[in-house]
Amino acid sequence: MKYVVMECSLSYAVVLDEAGRFLKVANLHYEVGQTVTDVIEMKIPEKHTGSEKGKARGWIYSIAAAAACLALVFSMLFQGGAAPYASVYLTINPEVRIDINQKDMVVGLDGINPDGDDLIEGYRYRKKPLDQVMDELMDRAIEMGYLYEGGQITLTLDAEDDQWIVSHSKSLTEHLNDYLKEKISVTIEIENTRTINQEIIIPVAPETAAPETTAPETTVPETTAPAEGDSDYGADSGQSDYGQSDYGAEPEDDGQSDYGAEPEDDGQSDYGAEPEEDGQSDYEEDGGSDYEEEEEDDD
Amino acid sequence: MQKEHQIIKEVYAAKKDAKKADELIRAYLPYIRSETSKCISRLCTEQDDEFSIGMIAFHEAILGYEKEKGAFLPYASLLIRSRLIDYQRKEARHRGHLSLDAEQGEDQHTLMDELTDGNDCYEEAMTREATRQEIEELAAVMKKFGVSFSDVADHSPKQQRTLEACQAAIRYAAENSRLLDELLQTKKLPMAQLVQGSGVERKTLERHRKYILAMLLIQTNGYEMIRGHLRHVLKQKGGMRA
Repeated sequence: MKYVVMECSLSYAVVLDEAGRFLKVANLHYEVGQTVTDVIEMKIPEKHTGSEKGKARGWIYSIAAAAACLALVFSMLFQGGAAPYASVYLTINPEVRIDINQKDMVVGLDGINPDGDDLIEGYRYRKKPLDQVMDELMDRAIEMGYLYEGGQITLTLDAEDDQWIVSHSKSLTEHLNDYLKEKISVTIEIENTRTINQEIIIPVAPETAAPETTAPETTVPETTAPAEGDSDYGADSGQSDYGQSDYGAEPEDDGQSDYGAEPEDDGQSDYGAEPEEDGQSDYEEDGGSDYEEEEEDDD
Repeated sequence: MQKEHQIIKEVYAAKKDAKKADELIRAYLPYIRSETSKCISRLCTEQDDEFSIGMIAFHEAILGYEKEKGAFLPYASLLIRSRLIDYQRKEARHRGHLSLDAEQGEDQHTLMDELTDGNDCYEEAMTREATRQEIEELAAVMKKFGVSFSDVADHSPKQQRTLEACQAAIRYAAENSRLLDELLQTKKLPMAQLVQGSGVERKTLERHRKYILAMLLIQTNGYEMIRGHLRHVLKQKGGMRA
């Protein structure tokens, strides 16, 4: 680009470029009429208009920040309503997880096993209360043959709030009992995942529910120790006391495993130990050598 | 403190008035020189390009200064330094290239001497002189309209699109010499006809009124050299006709 110098002043020169632009450039000892090639153009910094624009933009930034904060707060509030607050695991054979929010509205439904997927396939849970979803899932389970007379339902409640679990384990059972009373008789178990070894088993339809069917997991003879019964839910109906393992224990039991122990036992593992033993495991010394001897006899 | 107030007042006066800006720069020439010397770490003479750049940077500082943002002289010094750094970076690109004006060997011959003979030199001087005369004439005519080249430079279109819009109006006027005659006689821009003829928005033309005026004056008779320089603009005109 060539420039013709049009005017020279002390600090700058005015030049005309070939496109017809007049420019103020650094006056590198130019003379009027001279044709020059490289010029150093004067850059006039943004003046008041620019700064006002900047100020306006500053306002916009602060407003935008405030709006973003509001949006964040609102979204958190609404999230609080929408995010899963608790989950109910419903196990028949199909196993599904029902996520609910604080208002007991269902916000999520997932199959845990393939049968569970089958059960909820095509089912619309949105904007339905938990009770309704449960009822409808029961209907579907009956229809699809998963739930039958004398069958069993396990409900596992999972929530941060223990209060919620306590209140719902009761109300849910009552609700399902009411609902299923006229259709079918099943057993409903309530479990709490956080204290999973405390199982709440509530028999429904008492005329059919024998203790044996209500607690299939408990392969225990009915040996309750009422004195230490820290978890004796429904103990009257002959339930087990998980948390203790006193198989064949005697009433004055110390809570240790005492298979074949003698009454004056010291609470150690005493397989094959002699009464006057020191309370250590003597397996190696006696039993071990005995075993080898037997082997030799075989030979 | 009083001194600082004084310079702020002067700077704000110089923002509006080119003459005052000139005076202010003249008063601060030693300051500019010392700042420039500091920056290029050698003594700066009036002949150095760096000194010119320092001056224009000082001028930029006058135009860009805002008293809310701090003292003037530190700002000016900052601008001078950054412009000089820009310039040195630009120059660094040419390092390692031979200068046409550099002396070759003992006989004080320069490359330029070898490339161009005396005749060309003479011709060039003639061209320059002719152009200078044209420009002076033009400046005199423009003075009658109350416009200087500095004003024109301040109102010259900066965006490419605006420039093209203005060029359309100028081309229209160049094709209709009636408009140019009218301009010379009435000393008024025939704005309405320009708007009508070129289809450019009136607002755009009004904003660059001084620029349009200068360009139209160039299109009147007698400015062959300048018009030759602007032949690209005219060439486009031919292209549009075809």
